[in-house]
Amino acid sequence: MPLLEMKDVAVYYGQLQALFKVSLEVGRGRIVSVLGANGAGKSTLLKSISGLLESRSGTIFFDQKRIDGLPPHHIVDLGLSLVPEGRKIFSSLTVRENLMIGSYTPKARKESRETIKGILQLFPSLHARISQKGTDLSGGEQQMLAIGRALMSRPRFIIFDEISLGLSPLVVKELYRAVKKINQEGMTVVLVEQDVKRSLKVADFAYILQEGKVALKGNPRHLTEETVKRAYFGL
Amino acid sequence: MINGILLGGLYGVVGIGLSMVFGIMRQVNLAHGELMILSSYLSLLFLQVLGLHPLLTLFLVAPLMFFIGYLIQIFLFNRVMQRGMEPFLMISFGLSIIIQNALLLIFTPDARSLETAMVIKGVEVFGRFNIPLIYLVNFAVGVLVLTALQQFMKRTYMGWAINASADNETAAKLMGINVNKVYAYAMGIAAVTAAISGVLVGMTFTFYPHSGTQYLIIAFGVVIIGGLGSLPGTFLGGLVLGVSQLFGGRILGPGFQLLSGYIILLIILTLRPQGILGGR
Repeated sequence: MPLLEMKDVAVYYGQLQALFKVSLEVGRGRIVSVLGANGAGKSTLLKSISGLLESRSGTIFFDQKRIDGLPPHHIVDLGLSLVPEGRKIFSSLTVRENLMIGSYTPKARKESRETIKGILQLFPSLHARISQKGTDLSGGEQQMLAIGRALMSRPRFIIFDEISLGLSPLVVKELYRAVKKINQEGMTVVLVEQDVKRSLKVADFAYILQEGKVALKGNPRHLTEETVKRAYFGL
Repeated sequence: MINGILLGGLYGVVGIGLSMVFGIMRQVNLAHGELMILSSYLSLLFLQVLGLHPLLTLFLVAPLMFFIGYLIQIFLFNRVMQRGMEPFLMISFGLSIIIQNALLLIFTPDARSLETAMVIKGVEVFGRFNIPLIYLVNFAVGVLVLTALQQFMKRTYMGWAINASADNETAAKLMGINVNKVYAYAMGIAAVTAAISGVLVGMTFTFYPHSGTQYLIIAFGVVIIGGLGSLPGTFLGGLVLGVSQLFGGRILGPGFQLLSGYIILLIILTLRPQGILGGR
């Protein structure tokens, strides 16, 4: 049984349809990559999974529990966490407070001290800046903080939305190393990216969205560069 | 000067609830003054029925007001939070009229006060000044409320959640925060500050069912001077308003007390529109 299963999900913004009967499966412990150009429907897909946007039809199951229609805080409580695009660090909170608020759910609170230790081991550079305002950090450190904050809820399933956006190759390399480590510790990962090459390199399975539909899916090792390009750009 | 600072401490508490709601929800609660005066009447009720000291009635009035604030947010304000400022203003204005008239019906338009010996007792300071004890109590409670609120916002999950929801509602939801519930807690806390200021005002001055408007205007003055949404700014705004009112009254005559406070407000609005400690 897959950990996440979307079936024929359609999402609208008012009268405008953004997702057309999208079906997607993510197996336990896997890294799945969701690719697509701007406006392909990636963010809409994530918003519907995380409960920020309600789908008009179709179903979403997480660990065999139906989650479409549930509010975001219930979905986080079930063990699904999203690292949002653009980091969205809380400007009035320090690094430590940004991390702590990630463990807001009652289950996560109990283990927050242990979890924070693990996160500071994963991203040691956050340690020295623990008392600074979260938004005073560099772009790369803010991305680490956003990942750490999402991990604080002790999720089983974590989605990274545009993890490498606007960051230097060196920082991106470090972040991808962290993603692999997170996955090796047993977490299921979804990477939503525009950095096609890097994303396909680490993924076990890939979906390419185009104009709100799944244009291509498969094991990245079996997808040729040509087919990926075609699906990505709609050629 | 000392009296002005002490009065300013009370004004600071009057403004804190209004400032909090604006800082967190970007909304203006026009019923804040009425929530304050409702608390004064609730305190009066407990004082008469149970024979408690007015300050002790706070142990009953504050939780009751938290509950009222929480329910108001859940059943009224949360329904219109996503629709801009106007619906919130209209609902809070309607609520203020309802509370005013309910108080008028139940308690009649007669002047009331929460009688306490603190009003007539004086305390000698530095061997020179005789200050009414009630003013000292007001100031001390003001400092206590500000400190407690700041610690609450800095050290508790609910405080972080309130700050996070104010910063970015969508990101807060992704942390597992039920934002509507957090707003209800924030309104409950704002109502508790209204309860505290209502009891202090009731002990210091007389009040009527319509007194809420007068204190709403003071609260506006305080938060505009100090900076909307900033808790220390609100307290500082209270001090500036208190001192300028009493100074103006002393120099120009008692009739100019209110006017001189608002002249200072206009000057600050001109020179620093975001308020003394306001960020934007």
